[in-house]
Amino acid sequence: MSRTGGVAGRNWVRDLRDALVYPLTSNLRLLSAAVATVVTYAVLVLSSFPQFSIQVLTNDPTDIVYAVTALTREVYLSTGWLGIGLVAAYAVLTGVATINALALVRQARRTGASTIVGVLPGVLAAGCASCGAGVLGALGFVGAMAALPFDGNLLRLGGIALLLFFLGRAGDPQTCSIGGAGDA
Amino acid sequence: MGDEGKITRRRALLAGGGTLAFGGTVAYIASRSGSSDGGYVPATSHTSDETSGFGVELAGRPIAGERDAPVDIYYWTDYLCPFCKEFERETFPEIGRNYVDTGDVRMVVLYYPNIGRYSMPAAIWGRCVWSQAADTEASAFWNWHSAAFGEQPNSGKDWADDETFAGVTERTDGVDLSAVETCREERGESIRESMDPNLGVAHDARIRGTPGFVIYNRESGAAVKALGAQPYENFADAIDQVLQS
Repeated sequence: MSRTGGVAGRNWVRDLRDALVYPLTSNLRLLSAAVATVVTYAVLVLSSFPQFSIQVLTNDPTDIVYAVTALTREVYLSTGWLGIGLVAAYAVLTGVATINALALVRQARRTGASTIVGVLPGVLAAGCASCGAGVLGALGFVGAMAALPFDGNLLRLGGIALLLFFLGRAGDPQTCSIGGAGDA
Repeated sequence: MGDEGKITRRRALLAGGGTLAFGGTVAYIASRSGSSDGGYVPATSHTSDETSGFGVELAGRPIAGERDAPVDIYYWTDYLCPFCKEFERETFPEIGRNYVDTGDVRMVVLYYPNIGRYSMPAAIWGRCVWSQAADTEASAFWNWHSAAFGEQPNSGKDWADDETFAGVTERTDGVDLSAVETCREERGESIRESMDPNLGVAHDARIRGTPGFVIYNRESGAAVKALGAQPYENFADAIDQVLQS
């Protein structure tokens, strides 16, 4: 039993590594992952104080850089290096997960795969970036994150763990998963 | 085309460098906040019993800058207002260094209690601290002022009360808590009433919330209104425009 668990663990680590390096397989994918990372970071940071973001952006959308920098400082001052580091890591992983999920969806469409289950982990990996740190703020719960344990860092950490889990589970989007059923 | 689908060394280096640059940029932006933790203290402050050309009563109001500065900024604020806190942290220090300390602008702090039930008591604390510190150690007021905004928690909970503001006052060097308490008891009601005329000026200028600003050329009478916590560049443009008009 422990041997099976060990093999599964090794496979997951290998799949996670394959998933993480997938954007390196083309210039376009790398660029897209970078854009997705920056956009995710901006959305996460802006949603930490949505009323402020709305006020600044409705006044002048070109002030987005000011809003992002002001709220980056706000996140740092309220949650420290750990909090801002987790948000940055969240953004990078979401950038990778978005590209992988798009590849999975495209592959499923091309091969005519009838099951959405095959692509679901990848899509979830990208989607859960917004269900963790983002949505609470976006819904207008100013301070909801701060009221959570460790100023919301626990939730951010949970979101990152979830992203890593799904990325490892989906693996390299260029290859078909055969052994996936083993842990299903 | 040849390296399509393969992980090349160039792309790996690019991704590594890009990730480091992204992390470094975030760290740089975040760490810049350390410099403004103490808040801005103007080089000079003064009191005035006049009513400005724009109709703002200046008696008892904190005024940063030189008495003869050509431009006034009337700044309506509330210690419970999170946007005001952003303005205080992000923009006010730069306006202060580049326009107030150079003698071009004087900034008049006016209270507009509008956020919560403690907004008015907080404003009275501010006026009493100023009346106690203005003539002897005006810098104490500005330290108290930024410390009061610094008390705002990120949770947005009901944090403002007598205990919080008494704590800020006690911790601020150069401010005597018992003198401020006496002022609150004896002059609180008259201070409350004295806010009405300047709130009327704000309403006439179509300012309905905080932070609200009127940038006013004292000689030509030209005025520009600004609302919300805007970036420094917007204020700089508006001040330059009013200075030249």
